[in-house]
Amino acid sequence: MFIYPTDLRAGGQAASDKMAHADTDRADTPLPPTAREKRSMWGALMNNGLYKGVTDVLFKTPRRQFLLLASFPLFWVFFAHLGPIIEMFYISFLDSYPPAAGYEPQLTLANWSRFFEERIFMIPFFRTLGFAFTLTFVTLLITYPVAYFLAKHVKRKNQLLFLLLLLIPFWVGEIVRTYAIMILLGNNGAVNLLLKSIGLIDRPIPFMYTSFSLGVGIIYLTALYMLLPLYSALEKIPDNYLEAAADLGAGSWTRFRRVTLPLSREGIASGCTLVFLISTGYYATPVLLGGPNTTVFAESIAGFFHVAGDEWPTGAAFSAIMLITTLSLTGVFLKLMGRDGKGLMK
Amino acid sequence: MTRHTRILMSVIYWAFVVYLFVPLVLMVVMGFKDSKFIGFPIRAWTMEWYTGVFQDGQVLGVFAFSMAIALASTFLSLVIGTWVAAFLGPNNFRGKLIVFAVTCLPAVIPGIISAISLRIFARFLSIEPGMMAIILGHTVHNVPFVALVVMARLATLPKSQIEAAQDLGADSVVAFFRITLPYLKPALIGAGIFCMLLSFDDFVRAFFLGGYEPTLPVLIFAKLRSGMSPEINAISTIVLILTAVLGLWAERSMRRMNKGA
Repeated sequence: MFIYPTDLRAGGQAASDKMAHADTDRADTPLPPTAREKRSMWGALMNNGLYKGVTDVLFKTPRRQFLLLASFPLFWVFFAHLGPIIEMFYISFLDSYPPAAGYEPQLTLANWSRFFEERIFMIPFFRTLGFAFTLTFVTLLITYPVAYFLAKHVKRKNQLLFLLLLLIPFWVGEIVRTYAIMILLGNNGAVNLLLKSIGLIDRPIPFMYTSFSLGVGIIYLTALYMLLPLYSALEKIPDNYLEAAADLGAGSWTRFRRVTLPLSREGIASGCTLVFLISTGYYATPVLLGGPNTTVFAESIAGFFHVAGDEWPTGAAFSAIMLITTLSLTGVFLKLMGRDGKGLMK
Repeated sequence: MTRHTRILMSVIYWAFVVYLFVPLVLMVVMGFKDSKFIGFPIRAWTMEWYTGVFQDGQVLGVFAFSMAIALASTFLSLVIGTWVAAFLGPNNFRGKLIVFAVTCLPAVIPGIISAISLRIFARFLSIEPGMMAIILGHTVHNVPFVALVVMARLATLPKSQIEAAQDLGADSVVAFFRITLPYLKPALIGAGIFCMLLSFDDFVRAFFLGGYEPTLPVLIFAKLRSGMSPEINAISTIVLILTAVLGLWAERSMRRMNKGA
């Protein structure tokens, strides 16, 4: 079991300074390989009695190694990823939370039934779903030609550049981009100024605090999640499929409808799912760009958590209702599109 | 494809680029306006708002606070995400698909629900709202991204390299640190910068998990609610430049990784 310093060089950066040290030492006094091994950090580690003792016990069988490797990921994933959701569902059935001193919370269904009893919650809920459906569809219509152009018309060596041009704005955060839309659409905003200067309007059009400004803002935030899956699906379609269709006499519309569209189905499914899920979850954007007539469900839910905390169970129940609804809608959608959702995150 | 549709497509592409860039450009330009009032036309220009930001102790403090959260949550996400990937990637076992789905879960839950459930979870763990709670929230949210990127990279690691290391006497731990980890480096850099961006830009989790001390997006949000001002433009522009640079860097390292693989 020899680990030579030359092997170290191929390895990690972490060992590099130790290595330099070993090199200078070697220049002074040539050492046999076994002695050199002791000088290297990893060699020293592996010869350390304590390390040997611990790893001998831990790595004795492949099964033990596997369990050791598995233990933390399994704990993390089920505790930290699933835990919050489970705790949220649990609290949604309690009649009071956070627990008050000397009172044992009782299980109840009242938080869930409250949703079905009060119209002021039903309306934002269905409005959110309606918005999300509409915006997903509009985003698909807007980004499909863009993705098609990128995948099929831009030369391969330029594709990265053209794609990067679209990516840059999406690295900017939600709040900054929402603010940018406020400046664009305000009464003294760029659009109104432009319309006024070409004489189309005398008085500014009140774009802001409407479903229009909210829609523009949310599409601005989510378009990339549609564009990227579409692009990667369209890029995979071989050009000769389209040429073959053309040779067989298909016009451009038929080629699109019979070849391109079906082959980009996977991209459409992933893109729509992502945009739908993400657009239902925005909170700051509806607060800043929307008005009293565009209250979305995220704002209703947030309302329960602003107050001192006694309405948490209702907020938890409403979040649970929204989570179940959005996940099952996307599940049904993916089934309809003929996918099992396995490759959703690709 | 006819000539007309080709032209139409390129027009749509460039119109889309304009739609993406114009709001941001306007926002940057407005930060140089010599007036407290946001709106067009701009008659006088100034650098005052920018110099003001660099002298504003509150903004600088908040910036450092956001940075600390981003660095801490990125470090944790990288360690945990890599571990999850090292476990999920090469091993096949019953229920793997379920574990994989649960791994991805935080990335697909709508933002507000993620924030609320994490708020409840932090309370369950008796973590007070504030820095620790936000770091936890960002770590949970970012681990899926790290795990997916690292799994993709791991899939291309030649098995022979690990075997060679083991033949030369390395045990699993040494083989991981000497062979696997250096091989993962580009993936970790790319995923790490991506995590920094996600954390630094995040509003909804920081808003619900935060205490009295705001992160930068939460501060901008609070300022916006009390009225627009060129000062916000100056802060936002600085954030914008920072994120664009970080994003380009991440993109470059990921691109290199895919080429090198």
